[in-house]
Amino acid sequence: MFFHIVLERNMQLHPRHFGRDLRDKLVAKLMKDVEGTCSGRHGFVVAITGIEHVGKGLIRDGTGFVTFPVKYQCVVFRPFKGEILEAVVTMVNKMGFFAEAGPVQIFVSNHLIPDDMEFQSGDMPNYTTSDGSVKIQKDSEVRLKIIGTRVDATEIFCIGTIKDDFLGVISDPEL
Amino acid sequence: MSLVADSPVNSSSSEDFATLLDAELDSISDASAGLEDDDDNFDSARPEDDDANEIRPLDEFFGSQCRKKRRKVEILNCVIDPQGSTAHDEKLQIIGASVEKDTCTHPGDIGGLCIRCGQKVDDRSGVAFGYIHKDLRLGNHEVARIRKRDFKNLLSQKKLYLVLDLDHTLLNSTRFLDLTLEEEYLRSQTHTLQEALKGSLFRLDYLHMFTKLRPFVRTFLKEASNSFEMYIYTMGERAYAMEMAKLLDPENIYFNSKVIAQGDCTQRHQKGLDVVLGHESAVLILDDTEPVWVKHKDNLILMERYHFFASSCQQFGFNCKSLSELKSDESEADGALATVLEVLKQIHRMFFDQKLGDNVVERDVRQVLKTVRKEVLKGCKLVFSRVFPTKFQAENHQLWKMAEQLGALCTVEVDPSVTHVVSTDAGTKKSRWAEQEKMFLVHPRWIEAANYLWQKQPEENFPVKQTKN
Repeated sequence: MFFHIVLERNMQLHPRHFGRDLRDKLVAKLMKDVEGTCSGRHGFVVAITGIEHVGKGLIRDGTGFVTFPVKYQCVVFRPFKGEILEAVVTMVNKMGFFAEAGPVQIFVSNHLIPDDMEFQSGDMPNYTTSDGSVKIQKDSEVRLKIIGTRVDATEIFCIGTIKDDFLGVISDPEL
Repeated sequence: MSLVADSPVNSSSSEDFATLLDAELDSISDASAGLEDDDDNFDSARPEDDDANEIRPLDEFFGSQCRKKRRKVEILNCVIDPQGSTAHDEKLQIIGASVEKDTCTHPGDIGGLCIRCGQKVDDRSGVAFGYIHKDLRLGNHEVARIRKRDFKNLLSQKKLYLVLDLDHTLLNSTRFLDLTLEEEYLRSQTHTLQEALKGSLFRLDYLHMFTKLRPFVRTFLKEASNSFEMYIYTMGERAYAMEMAKLLDPENIYFNSKVIAQGDCTQRHQKGLDVVLGHESAVLILDDTEPVWVKHKDNLILMERYHFFASSCQQFGFNCKSLSELKSDESEADGALATVLEVLKQIHRMFFDQKLGDNVVERDVRQVLKTVRKEVLKGCKLVFSRVFPTKFQAENHQLWKMAEQLGALCTVEVDPSVTHVVSTDAGTKKSRWAEQEKMFLVHPRWIEAANYLWQKQPEENFPVKQTKN
């Protein structure tokens, strides 16, 4: 799920950046440091939308670096256990399939795929029902439920299921 | 619990049952609310911004609402069932199982998350399948289950498994700095050569390598894919393996999630079928090196090495000019891959032969391989002369064993039934006896040629020289 929240961070700036463009340089550094990272608490920081407040800079003893406390608004993405998401299938193999929803990668193992769907190998591996009416292949859109998440410094990984009601394929890949 | 009071199955005994249910469920919900801690690094104790606090309740909202809804639905199903003859205990048991309890056997995990229930798994045992996903591990039960299911699936499509080695089997690579003077033309004329070499020479600047695909390899892969599910298994690094897979299979049809590299081996310097998701009895291996497949020698088809670049020849101690220096190449229609493809097709035909009955699951491709091998030198009886070191136990020699695998009979003493004398020196007693009796006198390479080419070779092509004393 996406959230628009205010976060705070202490940015350290080297004196060579001091001058007319100080604030711009500070914002640029913030964006470089923060966009694309993730944390367990907030999830994946997708984009910074604005700066709310830049506090007074404090010179650190012993070095010339100055620390600015910055409050900024940003869009974050955090998957929750039990959340229903729509995702695009990226890879299908005999263990299950991998799908992506924004910056998050989700794995649905064959334990959590309905029993009537069988794996078909071939040049376009897929999971199909016995009558061929429903097919999960690369680039299909699926609705799945998250049952577990793991966050580390650069990515979020989830385990999902499509075995419940109203989950499964939404649309087939564009031809 | 108004649900229970309104239900038609209302009798004095079920009213007690209802209170029993209530008590049971209340205690369970208390216990699980306590455990309902977000298991993904959620730091709930920090009193930061108000906005941050908004995120927290949502999480609990999801968790508890889900649980309550599921429980209510399940109770409804159980109580309204009019077949009321089951005992109280049984009903309680059914409800106990449907309330969320962790009964998952954790068949495998990705980075510590169970693939079946999504919970954190502490002991990460089992085999790592890094080629499917870098953090994937599967327990032995799960591997066996997948193998069985996949085997049935493949058998219904009439396919077997084929594991392919890369270097010297399907291609040959060399680094830029290993190119000899005579090979420098490759660097400057890569584009013009492409036509002559039918698009099989590739220059990979970021890996600093040249790669030459073996002639016939594209046709080989296309035809083999009709009868086999193929894996790549190399002792090279993952990055190299993925690049080679892209060259061999640009549309990612054959080797999707099936490229196994050095880092995936469970034992150092040994390749194993434990990381291949297929039954050992249905796997054939194509490799130029035998020592790495100690545990699976019976599945192995040894290939003649492909030396295109000079560095490859030197690596194996050949002091001759390489194919690149001679500006020539292995024959396409006649080469090792074409021969091996025929052998594979034959094995496939014999495995799926209708006349052997319907029980395909019980068959073993290793048996079929042995049978096909024994046809090569069938009917030959061999005697060896000056091939083995003098106090060596002849039966243990590699050539003896190879000849026996190919279906020949080997003996130590000459007698009238001997058909071939294998020798390195035409001057020995046995060699002279062979010439006298008009038997075939061949160099040991004749046996090796039969092993690689799967056919008895003309004996005239392997003459034996007389060594001067």
